[in-house]
Amino acid sequence: MFINTVLLFLQSAFPMFIIISLLLLRFTATSESLVTNKNMAIMSVLAILLVLLLSQYMEKISQLFDDKGTEFVFSFGSIVIYFCSAFLFLLDKKDRFIHVKKYLALAVFLLVFSIHGSHFILYLTSYWTQSSTFELSGFESLFIGIILGVGICVSFAILLYFLLRYSDTHVHIKTSCYFLLFFAIGQLMQSIVLLQQVDVLPLSYSVWNSTAFIAENSEFGQLLRVLFGYETTPSFMQLIIYLTAFIVPVFISKTRYLVRLAYGEKS
Amino acid sequence: MIKSLPKYCKLFLLINLLSLCSPSVEAKRPEYHLDIKNHLFYPAQIIIPANKKVKLVIHNRDNSVEEFDSFDLNREKVIFPKQKSIVFIGPLSVGEYSFFGEYHPNSARGKVIVAETKRKQAASHDALKLKQGSLHVH
Repeated sequence: MFINTVLLFLQSAFPMFIIISLLLLRFTATSESLVTNKNMAIMSVLAILLVLLLSQYMEKISQLFDDKGTEFVFSFGSIVIYFCSAFLFLLDKKDRFIHVKKYLALAVFLLVFSIHGSHFILYLTSYWTQSSTFELSGFESLFIGIILGVGICVSFAILLYFLLRYSDTHVHIKTSCYFLLFFAIGQLMQSIVLLQQVDVLPLSYSVWNSTAFIAENSEFGQLLRVLFGYETTPSFMQLIIYLTAFIVPVFISKTRYLVRLAYGEKS
Repeated sequence: MIKSLPKYCKLFLLINLLSLCSPSVEAKRPEYHLDIKNHLFYPAQIIIPANKKVKLVIHNRDNSVEEFDSFDLNREKVIFPKQKSIVFIGPLSVGEYSFFGEYHPNSARGKVIVAETKRKQAASHDALKLKQGSLHVH
């Protein structure tokens, strides 16, 4: 129960903490003063409402589209997360599109919270109700697991925030943007697996198996999965989509930079 | 909002939306059924052919939520009480792929055994039954 709860936090709650870090960094480091108390309060209330609504209706959603509803809804959400994040990556340092960026960030935040938060609530309530007759040891390990899980997620999110902030100013100006893109590709990879699971996308053999090096069910494997979309046994299709999802936005952003250079504009 | 985006962003959006609109074809797949009863999988071992995609229909007969989880198969699916769910697996190479119930990982455990041909499948099925003591050899 104890280890399960910690892993549950890493699987479901960790992406929510990571996206808060990335978006806070993205909007507080620039001149766009979007991180106000009012905005934060509105976003938090909206996120909580969406999570509660989705976790309440998840059973009904799962029965839609010939019992494939959950896969369709969540994969659609994850694809939208990727596109919104890719646009945030592309619109970086553009002061003209502040409102567009605000709505994109809001969409990413709400979608990450609804998808992962609803799973988290479902798991937590199921663990809670199924821990047989609430014996003290089960309850204690669940409680300690929650405390430790929150501790790990908060610590890592704070560490990541300051690390990326330092990296943005001292190493590469777009480090946090690239990190957001990798996080979004990770979400996209999850949607690919979901669509393959219900036979919408073709299944193929794994290109490699890296379980011996970093197992996906280990704590480190879960961490890499959330941050970069790590897969121990990726299929050829997943590999192609991963590379395309990274190369296309980077190529577009580099092309723009080269065009600006060619016309002698200052970036 | 879209109108105000620069041209390269619109192009990126268009390319990606088109790539997602590719038609999906769900062919008739061999179907295997799996039951969850009293937090156990029935049957606990399924033998499927190698190099073939198969449809796994999982029925949750319990009154509590269970999650079909497998790191080997890269599958994760929540199954609500008294509901069924569909998961496609394969094509897989010969071997054993374990799965478990996320909420009862100690009791709800099983394996997908991938065998090469029908004859080999039958042999491994008999071996399995012999192991369980349910096959009488005359």
